[in-house]
Amino acid sequence: MSIWEYLQIPVFQRAFLAAVVAGGTVSLLGVVIVMLNLTTIRFALMHMALLGGAVGLALGSTPLAGATAAIVLGSLLLGPFSERLRLDTGIIGAFFMTGSIALAFVLFYKAGVPALDVFGLFTGSILSLNQSDLWAVIGLGGVILLSYMCLFREIQLVFYDPEQAEWLGVPARRIKNGLLFLAGLSIGVAMKVVGALLIDALILIPAMTAMRLSRGLLQILLLSSLLGVATAAGGLLISMLLDMPTGATITLVGVGFLGLSMLFRR
Amino acid sequence: MVIQMDRNLEALSLSGVGAGYGKERVLSSLSLSVKKGECLAILGENGAGKTTLFRAILYLLPDIAGTIRVLGRTVKTPEDGAWVRSQVGYVPQSQGKGKLPISVFDAVMLGRWGKSFAYLRRPTARDRELTEAMLDVVGLQDLRFRDCRSLSGGQIQRVNIARALVREPLILLLDEPTTYLDAASRDVLTQLIDQVRKKWSLTILMISHDGEYARQLADRVVHLRRGRIEEGLEAVS
Ligand SMILES: Nc1ncnc2c1ncn2[C@@H]1O[C@H](COP(=O)(O)OP(=O)(O)O)[C@@H](O)[C@H]1O
Ligand SMILES: [Mg+2]
Repeated sequence: MSIWEYLQIPVFQRAFLAAVVAGGTVSLLGVVIVMLNLTTIRFALMHMALLGGAVGLALGSTPLAGATAAIVLGSLLLGPFSERLRLDTGIIGAFFMTGSIALAFVLFYKAGVPALDVFGLFTGSILSLNQSDLWAVIGLGGVILLSYMCLFREIQLVFYDPEQAEWLGVPARRIKNGLLFLAGLSIGVAMKVVGALLIDALILIPAMTAMRLSRGLLQILLLSSLLGVATAAGGLLISMLLDMPTGATITLVGVGFLGLSMLFRR
Repeated sequence: MVIQMDRNLEALSLSGVGAGYGKERVLSSLSLSVKKGECLAILGENGAGKTTLFRAILYLLPDIAGTIRVLGRTVKTPEDGAWVRSQVGYVPQSQGKGKLPISVFDAVMLGRWGKSFAYLRRPTARDRELTEAMLDVVGLQDLRFRDCRSLSGGQIQRVNIARALVREPLILLLDEPTTYLDAASRDVLTQLIDQVRKKWSLTILMISHDGEYARQLADRVVHLRRGRIEEGLEAVS
């Protein structure tokens, strides 16, 4: 089948729209993770999402619902502590990764979750999005765009000089926690698109590529968004045409862009 | 000679001020008064509480005891504190370069936040004009599109000073502005401080750990020791 034939199918239309919206917006939170040193927290949230997704599957609801619940809990808990707690990256990483994956497998086994669903959790299942999932993606994308539009200078100041942001009266803490919360929700969406272990492909990698090439926050945001769309939508199309797993193909496209950016600069 | 200080001539006055962090009291019954247009250098050992003193003046600490008066207004409430911060330019100690790519122009303009732009109110033409003017003053006009991360320590410190000045302050607080600079950039900065001080008759409080240097630049030098100000070292001896 050609691309045009695929685009006639409703399931594919929905997946394509979701890829464009998610790719264009969740990538805007990658810069937050880098600037606010949230890489450890993101790692913890990724695995909480995985576990939440597993619980969702085991209970027979959707993995997205389970993952979202876990992440909302996780980011509300971790956000306020992110500064006070000096998290040890190694321990947290080992604890969350091994712990949550092991627990997820126990759940799968005990609840008799079909292997295909488990595979979907790890590699993404954008083709199985239903209409309400799509609305959730569009809603989240809208909130992300709106936040950046209304708070652009405040966010720029919080990233550039958090101390000055505080004493000038910018509600820096609330902005940080709000962004972390949005990043958490984005992790849930990204899990659905590329799978639990490839979440970075949609959030972190486009932003990292953009940051290599940009000279200011506005450029980073525009380029992240553009790369996010190209990664998600491009990866989806390629995976259809070449009959490859969607999540993995999207990830490879993202990694490809990052690799290209390394050739261009430094 | 005893100088009776007229309130109208007074930029800043602290009496019986105590401040600190939680139970740890860093400043206790500290008194200090600074005339308008004066340049005061504050010396003291590491950990003496110099930065804490600036934080108290800016009302950035909880539980401040005693009386602080800034430009004639007694500072008692958070609203007073916000007002103080709108009148004061502050260059904190040892600001790194940060990770965010940002142009010199944008970095300086962000100092205007809360003055005329915030949230949905975008920076105005006046914000941009003032930013341009300050870039001229600190001599960074040619570098306005440069990424701050690629600047030298001296240039970064000039960005920080421009960012404080763009708020059109009446008082400028400089926390160890020359600590990490080589001799040449330090001289540039000294000239700059002198120049802006005369230009706007600014009141300047500068923390330093270099007594020699402080005496050169300031009208008056005081020591912070055991939580109090000790006067006595005159600048022009
Ligand atoms: N945020 C803080 N929380 C708790 N204690 C602090 C904090 N900042 C400074 N201190 C303590 O207050 C004292 C004075 O610090 P500071 O004002 O920074 O000294 P200086 O600027 O003279 O080197 C030190 O003992 C320091 O450990
Ligand atoms: Mg200090």
